[in-house]
Amino acid sequence: MAKDKSGRSLSELQIDALREAGNIGAGNAAIALSQMVSKKVGLSTPKASLMRLSNVPELVGGPEAPVAGVYLNVTGDCSGSILLLLEEESALSLAGLMVPGDIEEADDLTVVKKSALQETGSILSASYLNALGQLTGLFFKPSVPGFAVDMAGAILDYVLVDLASSADYVLVVETDFMVSGVKVLGHLVLFPDLGTLSKILDRLGVPFE
Amino acid sequence: MAPSVLIVDDALFMRMMIKDILSKDGFEVVGEAENGAEAVKKYAELHPDLVTMDIVMPEMDGIEAVRNIIKLDPGAKVLMCSAMGQQPLVVEALEAGAKDFIIKPFQPAKVVEAVRKALQVEEE
Repeated sequence: MAKDKSGRSLSELQIDALREAGNIGAGNAAIALSQMVSKKVGLSTPKASLMRLSNVPELVGGPEAPVAGVYLNVTGDCSGSILLLLEEESALSLAGLMVPGDIEEADDLTVVKKSALQETGSILSASYLNALGQLTGLFFKPSVPGFAVDMAGAILDYVLVDLASSADYVLVVETDFMVSGVKVLGHLVLFPDLGTLSKILDRLGVPFE
Repeated sequence: MAPSVLIVDDALFMRMMIKDILSKDGFEVVGEAENGAEAVKKYAELHPDLVTMDIVMPEMDGIEAVRNIIKLDPGAKVLMCSAMGQQPLVVEALEAGAKDFIIKPFQPAKVVEAVRKALQVEEE
């Protein structure tokens, strides 16, 4: 039984099952992304880990790092929330690929580019949820996504205000997408409500003991 | 006369994309709505030949909007366009009266094909 860095016990097998779910989700997300930008999209092997919520900003370079965040609630057979974090630079390149025209600062993001990024976040999140739904036979229904470009810490604060449960531990799937030679770093953070993680692990055939 | 289409999606970007695809293929986009409630209102006003309908939207979701549109016009042709491809949602949308379901994102050719197919259903 391996302990993750935050001390909560997840077996190697459970981590592996979650990583595999993340893999399939990322594969779906890459296909989705590729269709949105009409270009081939490469994919790194996703890393799945369980970590303390307070450590999440470190993933994107600390609480003050500028990021684009897409946030949504999940209902259905399981409940929780999803936050997709894209490093600002990645987000701007991505927006540039989808909506032609140069942009340098987030302030310069046009309404259309913001909408494109928000929709991308929504579609990427749905790709992961669809994969998780297929693997587990559970139904996950996302809410309308919220979108913001801000410091990582600020975005996380915003999410926490809205969070119904006090999920100390979150599941993070990190994936690098390569789009036309541009590396897009994506962090998908899942905030499972109480019981959701064990329900998912049960369905994946690797229940908590 | 070119078939008329009402595009319903809360994302401006998606509305632009679908409008672009359909206009290029000779369809006439007569209106756009950014939530289900607005969609029902615009349907009653415009009576389009076809509606493309997102599912996850504020105010009223797409499935509820389909139910309301079918109540207004049992012959309405609605094509669902959603990123959510999970079985229960697809089934719910089709039971509500949608003609078909395409999963976002999509290739332009797929959209045109699905729109044509949905429009033919009525002509038969």
